[in-house]
Amino acid sequence: MKIPAEIKIVALVVGTCAFYTYVGQLVPQKEVQPPAEVLISSDITTEEMIAIGEEIAQGKGLCLTCHTVGESGALRFPDLAGIGSSCTTRIPDKSGLEYLAQSLYEPDIYIVPGFNPGMPNIARPPIGLTNDEMLCVIAWLQSMGSEATVTLETRHSYNTDAPEAE
Amino acid sequence: MNRKLQILVALFGIAAFMAVALKVLMVLQASEFKSPVAAVDTVETPRDQALTELAEDRAAREQAKPYVDEEYRQAPVFGSRVVVWVLAQLHLLFAAFVLAVPIFAMIIEAVGYFTGDKKYDKLAYEFTKLMATAFSLTATFGAFLTFALIALYPKFTTYLMHVFSPTFLPYVLLFFFEALFFYSYYYGWGKFHPLVHLGLGFMLNVVGTAIMFIANGWLTFMMSPAGVADSGAVINAWEALMNFTWMPINIHRVIANVAYGGSVAGAYAAWKFLGAKTDEERAHYDWMGYIGMFVAISAFLPLPFAGYYLAREIYAFNQALGIMMMGGAFSWLFIIQAVLIGCLFLAANFYLWLGMGRIEGTLPFQKLIKWLLIAIAVCFAIWATPRSLISTPAEVRGMGGSTHPILGALGFMAAKNTAVNIMILTTYVSFMLYRRTGKRPIVKWAKWGNIAQFTLFALASAVVIFLGVVSYFVDAATRIRLSVPQVLAVLAAMGAMTIIDIFLLRGAEKTGKIHWGKLPPISQYVLIFIAVTFTWLMGLMGYLRSGLRMHWHVYGVIRDNSVDAFTPTLGFATQVVSVTVLIFFVLIAFVFWISGLSSKEDWQPRSSAVEP
Ligand code: HEC
Repeated sequence: MKIPAEIKIVALVVGTCAFYTYVGQLVPQKEVQPPAEVLISSDITTEEMIAIGEEIAQGKGLCLTCHTVGESGALRFPDLAGIGSSCTTRIPDKSGLEYLAQSLYEPDIYIVPGFNPGMPNIARPPIGLTNDEMLCVIAWLQSMGSEATVTLETRHSYNTDAPEAE
Repeated sequence: MNRKLQILVALFGIAAFMAVALKVLMVLQASEFKSPVAAVDTVETPRDQALTELAEDRAAREQAKPYVDEEYRQAPVFGSRVVVWVLAQLHLLFAAFVLAVPIFAMIIEAVGYFTGDKKYDKLAYEFTKLMATAFSLTATFGAFLTFALIALYPKFTTYLMHVFSPTFLPYVLLFFFEALFFYSYYYGWGKFHPLVHLGLGFMLNVVGTAIMFIANGWLTFMMSPAGVADSGAVINAWEALMNFTWMPINIHRVIANVAYGGSVAGAYAAWKFLGAKTDEERAHYDWMGYIGMFVAISAFLPLPFAGYYLAREIYAFNQALGIMMMGGAFSWLFIIQAVLIGCLFLAANFYLWLGMGRIEGTLPFQKLIKWLLIAIAVCFAIWATPRSLISTPAEVRGMGGSTHPILGALGFMAAKNTAVNIMILTTYVSFMLYRRTGKRPIVKWAKWGNIAQFTLFALASAVVIFLGVVSYFVDAATRIRLSVPQVLAVLAAMGAMTIIDIFLLRGAEKTGKIHWGKLPPISQYVLIFIAVTFTWLMGLMGYLRSGLRMHWHVYGVIRDNSVDAFTPTLGFATQVVSVTVLIFFVLIAFVFWISGLSSKEDWQPRSSAVEP
């Protein structure tokens, strides 16, 4: 029996779509939820700040979409492993804390050698971290390669005007 | 009585009957209602009382309800996002078709006019006929989409309208002119001096493109907002319209529309070919399909470059957005895209190869195309499989986990760039070989010409591959820069080869006739496959463009607070794309059918009364 061309066409169209949909099912399936608000209570320890900072880095802060931790080779973005100690030597006469704050609030002032500018200002939307969230991120950065020293009370040039955390 | 009188009496009778009926009704209404039961006073039971009180209470509460602006409304069953998604995609598919057809109809018509070959004029008209039905469907879906946006995303839609209100009047006016030029172009076919008619076609294209540019301003604004404060307050509507990704999208869409329109027109021809009864029809539709396909592939070759430009601008606007696209949640989308593009290239080359069958005197070197097909298949494999397509649980964890799924994929970008450049180059050569079939160059330097062309091809391939390999050993900043010479080498080689070819084949001797219509039916299914793949690809990339904003309506400015703010899985997205594509093809079948009607024979009453 000869199959009419119309039927073959329908089968072809449906089959093609089915095939591409199938390919779509083969790749990893991940639903991305909007970032959850991170609750920062005023009396948290530096240890807890590191944990929150890491959470922000993975989620809301998008840091780990660009940065790696502990990779080497031809990277597009500076690897953050050891940043806790290397931050003190990047700019002479600038403390580690001040350097980290500057990399987050005004990333384009100093560009890490070998890399292109392109780090977003994460204090502004779309990322828009609050000052307290920034301190947590700094704690996390410090913890990689050295001892985290910041608390929510810590002041640097970018949050000196901010009201003290209650 | 004569007939007129009968009708008059009948009308009068009906009017009189209605008047009497109305009178009776009025009398009945006026008279007081009497219960058929003898009971005279009705006793109100406690239940009745409670019911009235309840009703009064409810009425009072409804009256007291304050008016609140709703931020979102949920569409039943499918949810608001999917409804708007499907409608927008359908609108876009029809719009793309409607914008593309006049572009190449005009070109084909011009070819007909300048060569004096009536055949082209007929073909251009046939293409335009397809546009007529699609035109109103485009507008219908546009209206549908607008209503859906207002109904389901009222607050956000109000915001967009607030930003873009200055563009509405020009948009409507342009639409008016679009209709004007389209109808005069379509109904005026053959009624004007050809140049006047071509002028109409030209104006139709100008207006159509301008319409698209305005609409592109609205949607690119959502991805790369400009001209507004962080709070969303409008600072400059012009800047909002002409935002960062506006021009790249404009360029990308014009080219893609032509490729897409060509492929759908090719599918139409294939459909007619398969249903054709005579050799003559088959010959005509084979030729039409070939032209459609030629248009599609010619426009498709530069498309990756336009896409590259767009991607670069997205990076330039916001690195995080760029990384999100090529890395992050969307990196696997490009694997799916690679499968589709590979399929397109393979199918196109296969079609060309089959097409050689219709030409007498295929030269031996044209058998080479088979090898080209293989080369493309290999590139395709490289491109589509940075890792295995089948995801292991570890990979899935990698995607969702804290580490960087991205760099793995990014590291392969160099290989992918190389593969796609080679694919483009190879398809182009395939085309050249096809062009060469049945012709022998008569110019004296023919041999040198061929050698020059081949050298260019080899050189460009070598440059592309060399740079591709080098990319693996240099740092990030340099690697990104290396893709530019790759692209330039391909473009330069294609340009130079085309110029040589034009002069080489000038006045070439025809060694064989082309037998249009003499090719296996499978070629026609390939054309349909290409059209479906194109449509699907547009659906997929449309999802990327729109989904990239993640939980933002306007990236970084207006947040999406609806239940649909999350980004769905790619599996789900591909399902929506497939459903949309299927709906589109059902509708386009209708368009094809309508356009085919006018060439059918007129309806005749069946002559049941047999002559005695
Ligand atoms: C769009 C990609 C991107 C995102 C997202 C991003 N960065 Fe960066 N980051 C860069 C680039 C590019 C550089 C190097 C250029 C420079 O120095 O400004 C950099 C540099 C840095 C540096 C300096 C590194 C050094 O070795 O001195 C630090 C610290 C840093 N980023 C932290 C972060 C943190 C924390 C986040 C998340 C809140 C983040 N980045 C998000 C791209 C990004």
